[in-house]
Amino acid sequence: MARIERLIGRGLYQQALECLLVENPFPAVCGRVCYHPCENSCNRAGLDCAVAINGIERFLGDEALHGRIQPTVFRFPPRGKKIAVVGAGPAGLSAAYFLSLLGYGCDVFESRPEPGGVLRWGIPSYRLPEDVPAWEIRRIQSMGVQIHCNASVSADFLEDLCRSYSGVFIGAGHGKSLTMNIPGEPFALDGLDFLAGVKQGELPDVKGPVWVIGGGNTAVDVARTLARSGLGVTIAYRRTRSDMPAFEQEIEPAMAEGVRIMELVSPVRIEKQGGSYRLVLQKMKSTGEKVRGRMGAIPDGTDVFSITAGQVFTAIGAGPADLWIPPLPGDARQIPLSHCTAVVHEIPLVYGGDLTNSRKSIPDAVASGKQAAMVLDLLFTEGKHDIPEKLKAFHVGAGPSLSMEMYIGGERKERSRRVVSYGDINTDYFPPRPRVLKSSEENTAGEDVAVDEARRCFNCGICNDCDNCRVFCPEVAVVKEDGSARRIDMDYCKGCGICVVECPRCAMDLEEEPV
Amino acid sequence: MKPFDIPQNDYMYSGHVGCPGCGAAIAMKFALKALGEKTIIVMPACCWGVMSGSHPQTALKVPILHTAFASGAAAASGLRAALDMRGDTETTVMTWAGDGGTFDIGFQALSGAVERNEDFIYACYDNEAYMNTGVQRSSATPAGARTTTTPGKDWKRTRKKNIVEALAAHRITYAATASIAFPEDMILKFKKAKSLKGGSRFIHIFASCPTGWRMPSEMSVKIARLAVRTNLFPLYEVEEGVRYTLNYTGDRPVKDYLKLQGRFAHLTDQDMDAIQKMVDEDWKQLQKKI
Ligand SMILES: Cc1ncc(C[n+]2csc(CCOP(=O)(O)OP(=O)(O)O)c2C)c(N)n1
Ligand SMILES: [Mg+2]
Repeated sequence: MARIERLIGRGLYQQALECLLVENPFPAVCGRVCYHPCENSCNRAGLDCAVAINGIERFLGDEALHGRIQPTVFRFPPRGKKIAVVGAGPAGLSAAYFLSLLGYGCDVFESRPEPGGVLRWGIPSYRLPEDVPAWEIRRIQSMGVQIHCNASVSADFLEDLCRSYSGVFIGAGHGKSLTMNIPGEPFALDGLDFLAGVKQGELPDVKGPVWVIGGGNTAVDVARTLARSGLGVTIAYRRTRSDMPAFEQEIEPAMAEGVRIMELVSPVRIEKQGGSYRLVLQKMKSTGEKVRGRMGAIPDGTDVFSITAGQVFTAIGAGPADLWIPPLPGDARQIPLSHCTAVVHEIPLVYGGDLTNSRKSIPDAVASGKQAAMVLDLLFTEGKHDIPEKLKAFHVGAGPSLSMEMYIGGERKERSRRVVSYGDINTDYFPPRPRVLKSSEENTAGEDVAVDEARRCFNCGICNDCDNCRVFCPEVAVVKEDGSARRIDMDYCKGCGICVVECPRCAMDLEEEPV
Repeated sequence: MKPFDIPQNDYMYSGHVGCPGCGAAIAMKFALKALGEKTIIVMPACCWGVMSGSHPQTALKVPILHTAFASGAAAASGLRAALDMRGDTETTVMTWAGDGGTFDIGFQALSGAVERNEDFIYACYDNEAYMNTGVQRSSATPAGARTTTTPGKDWKRTRKKNIVEALAAHRITYAATASIAFPEDMILKFKKAKSLKGGSRFIHIFASCPTGWRMPSEMSVKIARLAVRTNLFPLYEVEEGVRYTLNYTGDRPVKDYLKLQGRFAHLTDQDMDAIQKMVDEDWKQLQKKI
């Protein structure tokens, strides 16, 4: 991140995007729909406010989308091995992208008529216009990835794949909606189907008031889509708002658009009532005990009550189609990882995306594709032993994030692995300055704003040529010969450490020499 | 983001014998970046007299005239006259002295030279004690500091002498304060001093001393910056003794500066409040003159 912001700060968009594309094939998509956990851990928040990383990513992605820059994507020469990918959603496409970057040929099989998965069918166009994922998918195709749509992906088909490919990635996603198992359920419309229909231009004739049952991103997307068409919409959720799995940055604009949320209610049954429906609800209460991070909820003992709805939607989550359920843990041939599970049969099968990710999100899907590509490559080149250990060498930060640049031995591998914290920053050099890039669904930031925002970045841990180390060195021992990088003349350095303290961004470190 | 407009050339060699983190070394580096190679340094006894090396070695790329402790300004006056007689009006003569050699023993010679308006620059790198001989107090040692001659509970109670005001009272052509933590500001002031040829010019440089101040060497610049940020050592200029320009306004309590240094470790909160009061008072006095 720090390096990308530094490059943008200098107006080097092409290099910045090339840097980003080694780690993420979907900057324009993620710049719109990522819930940007990166901004939550941005050190700048300690001083004033996190850098608008998400908005900058969108700017960069769109520069390419509008043809203003033509980045070249790094690729290894072909290795003569072909991988089959099941599912052309963000996980499958990422896997294919990273595999082709590593020199593998890839065929992607998709049952729907167009690629993109949730990007194509699940996210309303006010958040993600169709042309954005379409463009970034074309970039993946231009790397030689073949996408076969309308494929009938059955058990036999999977067996065929195992015979004709060196490995298979399964990113078939959670496309099958869960059911509530209540009387009258067929009266309700399925949220995912509704969103997919809207994406194809079919807005069904819905009558208000609308009630949406669920609390995830799909529920909020359905609610917002309907509220935007002028209907009164209420989301009915069985826990409290703070427990809703939907991302806060989706809930907030939904409320601003008039969506209401009724907390602590659970559906009991749906009845037809003339032209509308009677939705019977049970009041719930918190159990006070958290189960997997969320507060449990049980009926509070009072009577049920009912409301009248023009239409009821369900969006209570989705699961995998039966064929794609990964094998149970405990199987000796299995390698479970943070974002995918590899199973080593005659050929390796890797399950990823929503099938294995604990958080079902676009960035996690991309992470899954990246991890799977590394795992497959390690399996082919080094065998199945110690894969989790080997992957540790490519971690960045404290979490499970992996760097493809480190994997392919890029410049980043040489950098210190130390995670710079806010306390490591010399804030003498950073006067507080509020965010200049304010996020907006409609508009991508202009160049001036993006560059100005990128310059707010501390550039944690990376040298941006500020020259402080050389300026302040009392020994004239930080030297810079014409054209080359700075180096420390160890014959004369007394180890005072001024360069380390005066480095605003903690790109230097003082280590005691082993005796 | 262009950092500083700092000249690339250095007229100081690696390998001087200053302590790790020496602020006086940084000060010399910046001063010579501004003055360039047509400079002769007059150097009375001080740390730098040792750091510059003993013949035939030298730490500087310009000539140095070593003089007795008390006579930095007097020797410079003579050197200037000698150069003028040879027709060399281009070379800058700069006395480079410590605070002891300036505020105390060299003060008579300095006052006399400035009164005669000798054409030279007098730079005092102030590390607030006689460091070369083992941290004895000088009249530049600030109130509150412990030195080997103000030890234990007998830490220094009186104020630091205000040398710039004393020189302003001489109606000196140019006087300025500078800090090793503000390289751009310091280099500009030296360039300005060089350009104001014809009269006496004085630059008072705040130069931290990790050894004498009992602080970690890596904090040298950070602490010098804090001295300015707490208004304890304001950055300002005086022309002809009357035209004042303030270069920086601080925003931090003086405690932030004091508590990082061993020489102030004995101070109670009350003592620090008293020092804060002094700083506030001096700051007010200064602002009246701006
Ligand atoms: C007349 C005289 N008295 C004493 C000394 C010993 N002496 C040499 S350097 C020095 C201290 C100088 O202190 P300062 O001017 O503050 O410079 P610093 O060493 O701190 O850099 C002393 C006392 C001397 N050289 N000449
Ligand atoms: Mg001294």
